[in-house]
Amino acid sequence: MKAFTLLFFISLPLFAGMNHGGMIMDDSGMIMNHNPDVLPKDCPKISKDVDITIHAGHQYTKGFAGKMFTYDKRDWQVPGCARVNVTFINEDDIRHQFMIHGLPGYMYPKGMFTIEIYGKGQKTASFIVPSRDYTYYIHCEVSQHTEKGMKAQLKVGEGSGDLDSILGLTAALTPDIYPINNTQITWVSLLISFVVGVVFILYLGNILRIKLS
Amino acid sequence: MSHKRFYYRLIPVVFLLIALAIWQQADFFQRAAGIHLPKGVTPEFKQVLKIDKPCVDLHPEWRLAQNIDGVKMAESRLCEPDNPYDIAAFVLGMNNISMPTLMSTHIAEDALIKSDDLDGDGDPDIIHIKLEVLELNGATPDSPSVFPQYEIAPGIMPGMWAFSPKLRGMSVKNFRSQKPNAILRAPSPVIRVEQGDKVYITLENTHYFPHTIHFHGVDHAFKTSKGGDNDGVPVTGEKAVMPGKTRTYELQPRHAGTMLYHCHVQTDKHLMMGLVGMFVVEENRPDNWVQTFNVGAGHVRYSSAAIKEKYQREYDLHYQSIDKNLAKTIQQSNDTREISKQMHRVYNMSESNENYFLLNGHSFPYTLRDALIIAKPDENIKLRVANTQHSSIAVHIHGHKATITDYDGVEQNPMAQITRDVFHLAAAQRLDLNLQTTNDGLHSYGEGVWLFHDHVETAVANDGMSPGGNIALMVYENMLTEMGLPELRSDALDDLFSNRYYAKKQVLWGKKEAGTFAPNTLQLILFGLLLGIIVGLIFFIGRGLMRAD
Repeated sequence: MKAFTLLFFISLPLFAGMNHGGMIMDDSGMIMNHNPDVLPKDCPKISKDVDITIHAGHQYTKGFAGKMFTYDKRDWQVPGCARVNVTFINEDDIRHQFMIHGLPGYMYPKGMFTIEIYGKGQKTASFIVPSRDYTYYIHCEVSQHTEKGMKAQLKVGEGSGDLDSILGLTAALTPDIYPINNTQITWVSLLISFVVGVVFILYLGNILRIKLS
Repeated sequence: MSHKRFYYRLIPVVFLLIALAIWQQADFFQRAAGIHLPKGVTPEFKQVLKIDKPCVDLHPEWRLAQNIDGVKMAESRLCEPDNPYDIAAFVLGMNNISMPTLMSTHIAEDALIKSDDLDGDGDPDIIHIKLEVLELNGATPDSPSVFPQYEIAPGIMPGMWAFSPKLRGMSVKNFRSQKPNAILRAPSPVIRVEQGDKVYITLENTHYFPHTIHFHGVDHAFKTSKGGDNDGVPVTGEKAVMPGKTRTYELQPRHAGTMLYHCHVQTDKHLMMGLVGMFVVEENRPDNWVQTFNVGAGHVRYSSAAIKEKYQREYDLHYQSIDKNLAKTIQQSNDTREISKQMHRVYNMSESNENYFLLNGHSFPYTLRDALIIAKPDENIKLRVANTQHSSIAVHIHGHKATITDYDGVEQNPMAQITRDVFHLAAAQRLDLNLQTTNDGLHSYGEGVWLFHDHVETAVANDGMSPGGNIALMVYENMLTEMGLPELRSDALDDLFSNRYYAKKQVLWGKKEAGTFAPNTLQLILFGLLLGIIVGLIFFIGRGLMRAD
């Protein structure tokens, strides 16, 4: 009996692994926590069906010097209780993910919904968002992909502000520091504006003094 | 009095403005990135951009197998093969070559005299060799640059020394050239003698510092027959050979093998400067004329009789390193007292680094010109490897496993010989390898352009810029171009032969580096105005208060 109990507890993680249904896998990729129909507790019904198409790949960093991978669009907004049907298209020959965090844990284990594609290709899956205004974090978890540009946000309702370091949208929380390429013009304009400031105040003062006297 | 109050009331305004100025302080020298990063710039390169040809095909006719004064030498399909007239001179001795051959070399007539077949086996047994000491990339009072300009890799000219066979004539290529002629180069030449030869090696000290020669691993008596110094160590023998003086060392090596010779004055510095070379004693055979010098090491165009019995080709591989700070000591002054101070007293070898790594006097990509191992399938290739660096080397030949036949010039019991793919040599060690090109999945994986290099990764870069250092290639003949270069992707060498690349001014895998932000002029002007207003206001208040009294 004791042995059985022990065995039961040891094997718990295994059961847990098998439990989180919603895992659809094939040789081209994986969808985790696909949910087209289960409503969050706070949603009486699906408010709207929103279809979004997200392209991922190196090519979309064009115009963003110094970055390596990103999505074609990085800022999305849907109403509360919407069903989001994501078509995720990987344009690179390597693995990319569309991974969203912060969904209710009671219906999305670990609060995540993920589409992962192992190479060039596409997959579609759905998730239903709760009603509250919130900004969800979307990214690709492949090593350093988030950091080098593959990061986005999904605002539900009004959202809860912008996330940091989303290409073209927000600055980094820990930004890189770059030197400034000063020329003589820099220093001359500083000097002239300083002199103008001095002259201006003295001129103003003279007018004032004349009025005072 | 009311005036005074007016001015006092303005003082808080000044503090307010100062607070505003601090708050709105302009970024003068650096700025954190906002949403957008800087657009990027191409790095600035002040020197004249110079892009070398991978091969300057100066003497295609030298590559052919040929017979000069009866010396039949192998072809040498390298981009820069050894001068065949030099080879003939080094095999026969300067006293046994024809006048046209002599005129086609830069060697002095008394540099190498071969005579007296003492044992009657058809080859000369008394060998007189004269060595000089030369400097490459030293200081010159006539130019801010160095002289003679010997590039180990594109744009890289560290100060170096080398022994050389006694030369004649100009040391440069021609009147207009700053470059040394082909004999004046690193490393010190490989010296080859036959086992049992009576060898007299005269050091003619043409340099401005004292030097000696010590024969490392080569059978020699402690003193010469006349009781003179024969070990080259100033502490145990005679004083060093002073500039302008000469000394003759005597050898009659009883044991064959791959050995070394080097200067033993301030050895730490002088050895790293390049006064070290390979010394090969070939096994005694009848009618065995050996190529006494292999200038620049590398391919041996005229192998000894014993080597020809077992091997189709022979290469001398001399690994060498340079500390750029040591190299600099001869480039900053023409006052020999100052150079001596900088090299021998200011420079501290115990704080040294190795920055440049050379194989046979060149670093990659120049190793492509003269340090290739050229092969055909089903051959036995003799490699003599010497490490004259301070650090150890771990030589690896892609696609092959070779067999170590000799350690430090001593044959390993054939039953115990080791076949492997990394060859470790501590400082001053030598290995003889049999590189078999049999495509059997063990000794060779087939024909190709196979890299070979020290796997200590500091050594595959030029002062940290990779690829460089002692990287070279083993190329099978079917993948070798007419010009002696390996068949490569057409753009494979584009960047590497420019001086910009090794000056670290070439962006890798792109065109731009991050660079800088432009100044925010509006912000600067507003800040300047604010400062002006503050200063003006302080002046206004001060003057007003003084006048109000």
